[in-house]
Amino acid sequence: MHAKSLRVAASLALVAAVVAADLGLRVNATTAALSLLLAVLGVSAQFGLTEALVASFAAMVGFNVLFLPPIGKLTIQDPQNWVALVAFLLTAVTASQLSARARRRAAEAEAGRLEIERLYALVQSMHLTGSARKTIREFVNRVVQVFGCTAAAFYYAPTDEFARSGPESQVVNDHELLAESEVENASVDLLRGVALSPVRLGGRSLGSMALIGSPPSGQMVQAIANLIAITIEKARALEDASHAEAARQSEVLKSALLDSLAHDIKTPLTSIKAAVTSLLGSAPGGDLELLTIINEEADRLNCLAAEVVEMARIEAGKLHLEKQPVPVSELISGALAELSVPLKGRPVKLRVPADLPPAEADRDFAGQVVKQFVENALKYSPEGSPVNIAAELKGGKIVLSVGDRGPGIEEHERSRIFDKFYRGRRHRFDTKGTGMGLAIAKGIVEAHGEKIWVESEPGQGAVFYFSLAASAGGHES
Amino acid sequence: MSAGKILVVDDDPQIRRVMKATLVGHSYEVVEARTGEDALETIPKESPNLILLDMNMPGIGGLETCRAIRAGADTPVIILSVRNTEKDKVAALDAGADDYVTKPFGIEELLARIRAALRRSSPEGGPHAFQSADLEIDFETRRVRAHGADVRLTPKEFELLRYLVAHAGKPVTHRELLQAVWGPDYGDEPEYLRVFINQVRKKIEANPAKPKYVVTIPWVGYQFVVPE
Repeated sequence: MHAKSLRVAASLALVAAVVAADLGLRVNATTAALSLLLAVLGVSAQFGLTEALVASFAAMVGFNVLFLPPIGKLTIQDPQNWVALVAFLLTAVTASQLSARARRRAAEAEAGRLEIERLYALVQSMHLTGSARKTIREFVNRVVQVFGCTAAAFYYAPTDEFARSGPESQVVNDHELLAESEVENASVDLLRGVALSPVRLGGRSLGSMALIGSPPSGQMVQAIANLIAITIEKARALEDASHAEAARQSEVLKSALLDSLAHDIKTPLTSIKAAVTSLLGSAPGGDLELLTIINEEADRLNCLAAEVVEMARIEAGKLHLEKQPVPVSELISGALAELSVPLKGRPVKLRVPADLPPAEADRDFAGQVVKQFVENALKYSPEGSPVNIAAELKGGKIVLSVGDRGPGIEEHERSRIFDKFYRGRRHRFDTKGTGMGLAIAKGIVEAHGEKIWVESEPGQGAVFYFSLAASAGGHES
Repeated sequence: MSAGKILVVDDDPQIRRVMKATLVGHSYEVVEARTGEDALETIPKESPNLILLDMNMPGIGGLETCRAIRAGADTPVIILSVRNTEKDKVAALDAGADDYVTKPFGIEELLARIRAALRRSSPEGGPHAFQSADLEIDFETRRVRAHGADVRLTPKEFELLRYLVAHAGKPVTHRELLQAVWGPDYGDEPEYLRVFINQVRKKIEANPAKPKYVVTIPWVGYQFVVPE
């Protein structure tokens, strides 16, 4: 208000100065009128409508009294006076309105520019971190600095966390923030000096934010909320990507480590095996026995290395299955072919329906389970006793089984024989092998998402079972 | 008199040592290479009759080396590898290898494979050609056309197909097929045979999952079916 009266005084002073100059220069009435019009125009362009109106009245009075006859008297009888007054007033109103509009536009543009500058400053000051939490913490501090608020608070819905710039932000409590995350639009409470806004991205709520103390406009608050939503999402995407990358790298590393372990053990074994089998071909009787032992033990070491690496791979969840339709007959004949030597003298009874659909399985690994079952049957049943291999379709699953006529497995041991290193009590000291075979078989079957189990009548033998999904696809002829 | 010149490609010096000692003892001449790159330089100079190629080597590796060898020569290649999965075998065969031996191996097994790979196919007897709507095989020129396109079969795949066609309409057992194509020391590798049959099917069948020509006879073997 003070500024306004100053401006009014300045306007009056300008009009007075022009009148005085006109008097001093003894100009005629027309020149005086024009010069006063210029003064009114100047005032209205520079100041507001009020100042312009005051100036035009002052100019009219001055012109009338000092330049229009009868000089020294305020008369508005002469139509000239009316023309002058109307001209002054019209000029004052039109010019002041034009200039006021221009000034308002400029002020708006300036305010807009300032807000955009601040938003930009906020964006600039936010470091792109790979963490949503860090981004939010940084935001509450930065937004206070950039927008000149006293405090800021943020509620992050996905992790249900609150971030505050400081204790001053308690003006808005947690409940208010929680409630705000549910609403649609930003709100500014000028009385409390609090702006609240939900933070959403594409209709998904990320939470809410509050600015306390001289909050910016509602539009601005909305813009800030949008900006922070995008920034958080970016941080989250970065976070996800770096997690995925780290997980992938560790997976690649583990896998490569297991591969190189297998390779590094097998390479020297290859030299040993090749050398000893070469010697075996031409060895004299006495050496033959010793060389045979080296050969057998090299094989055993090779199996052991393979099993250890495979067990490690199963336990690390790194078993890489390549499922495809596999005829069950091929799984069985493959295992029998590999075991043709230990199977000598053992009758094998096969019971596989001709119309059995192929199994959906990894051929190598599923074949390994069959082989493990047959090996087990051979190991734990008397020489010359038969091995029964069967497959059938049961409840949409293919169930493969291998039965033996061994001593069977007592009930309390049945659940434990699939554990790593577990050996039946009776066989603890008299059986070769690593004790990992059935554990590996179990790992393979479970990696297929299937079941493995044993049924046994002590004294009558044992039957090992595992299931495989029946292939829905083509039936290989 | 040398039974043949063998190039041993392996980055492990001990393996090269034992291979050399053994193979020389069996009258083979042996040249060595430490890497795939070395091997590719050595081959034109030495013209070996057979190549034993390690799969896992620093540098370009066994598979890449095998492809490079195949681009220039039909020399038999036996891949030696510590890995024994179907995927690795198929990759080796796809790269043009004739045979695949898993490390560690008994030397008799390897020698048998070497003899088999060196044995030249004997085209006497058997059919001269086969022709149907979508398959043409000329056994004289070793040309195969399936579905209007020339297909390239490795020597082993070709022998396999020749034997099956010669016995068309009758099931051929795994053992018979293995012994006919690879040699008398083979017979217990149905899985091995399956890999080659799959390769042949991929090359000549319209739908390898539902083969029309080379069909599986469960428990027995394979049969070449002549379409009506």
